[in-house]
Amino acid sequence: LTHPGDLDADLAYHGKMLSGEIPTYSLEKRYLRKDASVVWVNLTAAMVRTAAGDPEYFVSVVEDIGARKQAEEEVQQLNAELEQRVLDRTAQLEAANSELEAFSYSVSHDLRTPLRIVDGFSQALLEDHAAELSEQGCNHLRRVRNGVQRMAQLIDDLLKLSRISRAEMTVGNLNLSRLAESVVAELRAAEPERDVEVVIQPGLKAQGDERLMRVVLTNLVGNAWKFTSKRDDARIECGKLPDAEQAPDGAPQFATFYVRDNGAGFDMAYASKLFGAFQRLHSSKDFGGTGIGLATVKRIITRHGGSVWAEGEEGKGATIYFKLQSGGV
Amino acid sequence: MQRKRILLVEDDPDDEALTLRALKRSHILNEVIVAHDGAEALAMLIGDGAEPPTMTELPEVVLLDLKLPKVDGLEVLRRIRANERTKLLPVVILTSSDEQRDLTEGYSLGCNSYVRKPVDFVHFAEAVLQLQMYWLVLNKSAVNWQA
Repeated sequence: LTHPGDLDADLAYHGKMLSGEIPTYSLEKRYLRKDASVVWVNLTAAMVRTAAGDPEYFVSVVEDIGARKQAEEEVQQLNAELEQRVLDRTAQLEAANSELEAFSYSVSHDLRTPLRIVDGFSQALLEDHAAELSEQGCNHLRRVRNGVQRMAQLIDDLLKLSRISRAEMTVGNLNLSRLAESVVAELRAAEPERDVEVVIQPGLKAQGDERLMRVVLTNLVGNAWKFTSKRDDARIECGKLPDAEQAPDGAPQFATFYVRDNGAGFDMAYASKLFGAFQRLHSSKDFGGTGIGLATVKRIITRHGGSVWAEGEEGKGATIYFKLQSGGV
Repeated sequence: MQRKRILLVEDDPDDEALTLRALKRSHILNEVIVAHDGAEALAMLIGDGAEPPTMTELPEVVLLDLKLPKVDGLEVLRRIRANERTKLLPVVILTSSDEQRDLTEGYSLGCNSYVRKPVDFVHFAEAVLQLQMYWLVLNKSAVNWQA
């Protein structure tokens, strides 16, 4: 027995076929079983006519599509649940983000003020009371001021890192070779006495946010520049690995780029520590820095949907690899 | 020569002492008046309700901190710009932070300059000296105009 809800549609098709308007029809409809339960079917009906064209009989195929219908309903329900979960997660992320923003706002305003006071009055002591202090006393005060400067630098770096996470991204076609060249030009201008051989593979194209990717290259090439400072034959290389495999149609194509140097390098045993904030593998006596550079790089590359890793050997040099969507144009 | 006046709006006494110390280093003749919160600054410049402003003559420049008790720095700036007497008064935001929203908000409300206080006192003193040179000597203010 046809479900009352589908009766009209079925009869309408039936009439059209009888009158010769359509030769066949196909309809997803419900039947009622004897026990009044519903069964979904796909009905395909065709009209068989006599040689004179008069209707003779129908041929109907009734296919039970209950399982398919159930699967469809499940998919719909899953989609609805998924959407709800995305909404929930987005709300959570937004809350976390605004908390992070409030936190860095407070760091920016409140944490620097007491540092300024410590530094200001240490300097006041050095200026107004140097005569009353021993040479050692003055030295202690200088150390206090150095500590303050380091703390201030750490706060600024932390703020920078959190700004990177919150910065708006505009992804477009980038020429990484040109970006790297301009970073190298800045480094050469800052330290004209350094003699560093820099080899940049031309035409390195990728998809990314120009401002953020400049930060990445400033950090990577800057690190290579810094960690080769004790070598006479310093060499920095920027390039791209040969494409390993073609991405399937429609999927984004990623390429692996690298920045390589023959500087101080690092022990692979500590490779996992390299990208943590404020992790340093060299003493500040040998090489300066707060240890924020690679953490920043990792955050930016991750925000681009890519990944970053390092290879190195102590005393021989380091290579930082990063995967980015390759440029279309 | 008439002493040029600076209004410093600063709530932290240590910060106030350091800023005054920096301001005194230069040989530019100036008089510094301190307001310790936003409400006090507004009472001096605009007046408090029916009360007339306590500063009869406007300063050459206002050095304004942002984080202030009661009325915060941005609100002070908003009211300065909304008031006929003070709308053209030069205001320099001198604060700890350089968060983008403070900068955007500060300039949107019409500050004339925004300076982040360096942690290093030597650098801070240098910045204060430049502010004095610029706002007291070089710059021509539209308030207190004299032919």
